[in-house]
Amino acid sequence: MNDQVLAAVAHYGSPALFVVVAIAALGVPLPVTLLLIVTGSLAAQGAIDIWLAIAVASVGSVLGDQAGYAIGRWGGHALIARFGRLLGGPERIRRLDQKARSWGGAGVFFSRWLVTALGPWINLASGAAEYSWLRFTVWDVLGESFGAALYVSLGLVFSDRVQALGSLLGDLSWSLLGLLAAALLGWKLFFRRPERD
Amino acid sequence: MAQTRRQTILLLLGFCLAVAATFFFGYRAGRTSRRIRWQNEPIRPWMSVPFIAHVHHTRSEPLFQAIGVPPDPRDRRPIRDIARTEKRPVADLIRNLDKALAEAGQSGQAP
Repeated sequence: MNDQVLAAVAHYGSPALFVVVAIAALGVPLPVTLLLIVTGSLAAQGAIDIWLAIAVASVGSVLGDQAGYAIGRWGGHALIARFGRLLGGPERIRRLDQKARSWGGAGVFFSRWLVTALGPWINLASGAAEYSWLRFTVWDVLGESFGAALYVSLGLVFSDRVQALGSLLGDLSWSLLGLLAAALLGWKLFFRRPERD
Repeated sequence: MAQTRRQTILLLLGFCLAVAATFFFGYRAGRTSRRIRWQNEPIRPWMSVPFIAHVHHTRSEPLFQAIGVPPDPRDRRPIRDIARTEKRPVADLIRNLDKALAEAGQSGQAP
């Protein structure tokens, strides 16, 4: 699957890039970071225009994110009504909603390019929590544009080391996600007083 | 009481897993960053011949010749597609390309 996606972008360029990043933003596990690095390498070879590639990747990702937000907004409540008990009941969901709203902007921005594995979930959660669409879109556009520019530029600079760079950035991203999870769980475990049910 | 204890055990397990994942991926990232300068990029079926030539700092013509395809720097078909057209296994083409790259390296061919 990864090979087919990379081959499509290496062969067809921007149209394939647009489709792949939009699908990935919906939560389909595709190697978007590596794809953007390969795009940068293709730009270094003169096979693709760098500005067009950044624009296409940003627009494609934002459209995919918007679809995820819409699913969360109009389908999220039905899911919560059905599976809400698994998340701790209505009171717990209300508190999660409040939390999502309080760190929404930063969460949206950083999940676009730094902790990308969380991106599709944050889209759904933002929609379900009815986080302001305008704020979501502003942070989304900023994050996706920054991420696309960053990874395509890295691919441009390290155009002969695309696979190693993709692997390095992927590992760093997962390590960071592990660190965030450890910090959150450690805080709950060692510093927070137990919640009363 | 029993529920609180169960929650604590689950949190502890999650915490240990998260710490282990942090170190595992951090170690892999460190190892890759040490190797990134000198390790050659392996050839993959999604790569085109000009892409391989660029990554290995060589010209594309000898690589096209090595797999028996007329040299054309604008030919950006992935090796997988070339193999399908030529009715040859992908592994066969990759072997030929590796050999051509090794020869280009020995002759000190400029990009």
